[in-house]
Amino acid sequence: MLDKAGFEDWLRELAGQFEIFGPKANDRGIVNWQKLNEGELPDERPGVPKGSIKTFFFPQPETLLEFSARPGTEDAFIPHEPGTEHKPRLVVGVRPCDARSVVLNAMPYEDDPYFHKNRQNVVLIGLACRQGCSTCFCTWTGGSPVGTEGLDILAYPVSRGYVLEPVTERGASLVESAGPGNDATGAELKELEEIRSKAPSSLPETMELAPRLREKGLMDLYNAPFWQQLSDSCINCGTCTFLCPTCYCFDIQDETLRGKGRRIRYWDSCMFPLFTLHASGHNPRGEKVKRVRNRFMHKLKYFPERFGPLSCVGCGRCVRDCPVNIDIRQVINELLAT
Amino acid sequence: MTTANERITQELRQRARQLLESGQVAAFVGYTSGSMPMVMQPFVARTPEETDRLEWNSFCVLNLANYLPALLKSLEPPRRPGDPPPEGPLPKVGVVATGCWSRNMVVQIQENQVQRERLVIIGISSRGMVDRKKVLGLVGHADVTSVKEDDNSLLVKGPGLEQEINRWDVIRDNCACCVHPDPVIFDHMIGDLKGERKLGERFKQVEEIENMSVQARWEWFTSEIDSCIRCYACRNACPLCYCPTCFVDDSRPQWVGKSIEPVDTAIFHIIRAYHCAGRCTDCGSCESACPMGIRMRILTKKLQKDVLELYGTEAGMSLDTPLPLSTYKLDDPQDFVLTESLKGEKK
Amino acid sequence: MSDIAKKQAEWQPKIIAFLCNWCSYAGADLAGVSRYQYPPSLRIVRVPCSGRVSANMILDALRSGADGVLVSGCHPGDCHYISGNYYARRRFAVLKRFLEFVGIEPDRVNFSWISASEGEQFAEVATEVTERVKKLGPARHLVKEF
Repeated sequence: MLDKAGFEDWLRELAGQFEIFGPKANDRGIVNWQKLNEGELPDERPGVPKGSIKTFFFPQPETLLEFSARPGTEDAFIPHEPGTEHKPRLVVGVRPCDARSVVLNAMPYEDDPYFHKNRQNVVLIGLACRQGCSTCFCTWTGGSPVGTEGLDILAYPVSRGYVLEPVTERGASLVESAGPGNDATGAELKELEEIRSKAPSSLPETMELAPRLREKGLMDLYNAPFWQQLSDSCINCGTCTFLCPTCYCFDIQDETLRGKGRRIRYWDSCMFPLFTLHASGHNPRGEKVKRVRNRFMHKLKYFPERFGPLSCVGCGRCVRDCPVNIDIRQVINELLAT
Repeated sequence: MTTANERITQELRQRARQLLESGQVAAFVGYTSGSMPMVMQPFVARTPEETDRLEWNSFCVLNLANYLPALLKSLEPPRRPGDPPPEGPLPKVGVVATGCWSRNMVVQIQENQVQRERLVIIGISSRGMVDRKKVLGLVGHADVTSVKEDDNSLLVKGPGLEQEINRWDVIRDNCACCVHPDPVIFDHMIGDLKGERKLGERFKQVEEIENMSVQARWEWFTSEIDSCIRCYACRNACPLCYCPTCFVDDSRPQWVGKSIEPVDTAIFHIIRAYHCAGRCTDCGSCESACPMGIRMRILTKKLQKDVLELYGTEAGMSLDTPLPLSTYKLDDPQDFVLTESLKGEKK
Repeated sequence: MSDIAKKQAEWQPKIIAFLCNWCSYAGADLAGVSRYQYPPSLRIVRVPCSGRVSANMILDALRSGADGVLVSGCHPGDCHYISGNYYARRRFAVLKRFLEFVGIEPDRVNFSWISASEGEQFAEVATEVTERVKKLGPARHLVKEF
């Protein structure tokens, strides 16, 4: 157990070793991932920050390689590893849903060296949820407000500060470095017990969705009649996919400029016209309804069939920020009813 | 007692039902409410029964003109390239329009994206819509679970939250400086026309920035857009953006990089806004759709101001006035041209 | 003169000049043939009409590292295509003000009317634009770097 001052001291110490990030409000009052300065604690408002944590594992953009783009020179167009290395990163105030997304993304990215390198370089300190938001539904997707998947340490917020629970080995050694801390009082132990045992009342009841959706016939869901009306209001922007922690589609491009070149990987979205566009000009997902269907079918059917769990952690970002109020929870209900 | 918006909702449902029942239109575009308070869902009613889901309130912010070209096309009989055009009149679409949206429809008609005879426009003179982000700002970005609306106030509720807000404190910036609340073209009106609003400080937001130094303006611009995630919600929420291939997707040449590096974000916002020059009606759809709270509307407002100053026209005010950048006059101002200003100096 | 001031004086900006084939491009040629001196800072792109030049092209020049841009077309009334430069005039008037609004220095992006017979004027404009851009220094704002 560390009180707030102790937690602050601990972060200050870790700042020698890590770049520290956490949820922080900007001047418009929007909470997003930002570098935390000395003495700053993560914003603890209920719910998730605006952007998802994937930005640390799947940067927008990520330089994959660099090359000289001067024809005629000796090393022209011979790729080499990018020179940019940054300090290891420590992210505090990570909600369990966000942390779980990293584990889910690691499934399709099993053989992706860039993703795994970033994973090694980023330590996640979680923050258990005492209160949910009206858009939260982690309990539908196999997550929990006190889940530890993907985290190195989970911090339980109690009145004076945090109770730290190490999850991984590197988490344990970091907790050790914090020293013995304060003794938790009886009241705090009771708080801890309460957080662990009692889910916030705003969360919907736990559902085992993945097995139920896996059982459904793929073509039945694909041909379900509700897709048309659902997509009517969609404007095909990338808000849902770019804010989503488990949307991991990317595109790759070579950029050359004034004799220098680099290959970058950047976020793509199934909502965009270039997504799955063939060189022939044909696009199997050329119409809006097909794009919308692809996003939800990928998360709720294709991914579970291939990997088991849903590719959704129930953070509710897409629900909260969709400009036309398309709600994945309603889509789930429609699919269950199909 | 019913509120003005409730009365509009009732009449809107009736009108839409009549249109669909009589077969005058094949679809009606309006709004329905979804799961989130303060975010209305644009909604296409295709049967008379579905019109009961139509709703009208202060959060109808996404421009409905945006949906018309694709919807109209989807109602045409399928055609292959080279096939002759279909005979007889094509199915029509009903749509709600306030001042700015109707002006966007005028622009769409002028640019051959929709045909006037295929639209049945239900006009509503706008009272101004509410900015959800301003409401969230006032309640400290707390979790809002319900908002009840009265004619002049909003009752915002959430866990541990109950706050009454004056509607006029949270009106959208574009509505606050709107002078044309009345639809320009319509087939039926709900309620009366209000007439032009007299407003002294129509371009105040723009003027504040114009008065800064060039360096301060750059700093303002870059800080305004620095949280952009390039989701293109602003572009896609805009009824002016209908290019089959957007400049951001061009690859030969590639005008702008694909990720969120500051230069690319800046160029995206400059070109996106500039493409709306002389066409934008300041409907505010872009700003309302932005998940990050970027006020990109100020950019298009600046363009609107300049076009009005230079050429005396505003987009979509009449079907007979050509769009300002698709026409010219022999004596258009040209003091910005270097050879002209040098001539002046020599004299 | 300090080293920095010297460097500044020696620095030659790179200016992308979009010149209309029917007038300014020939004007530039005439300037050369007539041996009018002007600074070697212009990189000329020949376009069929000033009306061909879009905002995208001007921004692309800046993004690629140009310190300045000059777009030059025919005098109003002289367009080879009757009205291309009239449309261009409206577009550029709005664009120039807009770029200034977002913090691009007014002298970075320039427009001029130069006919095929105005070799001397071309040299004058090239000199003037170069001087103005030199005063501003290298462009930074919209230059893509990695």
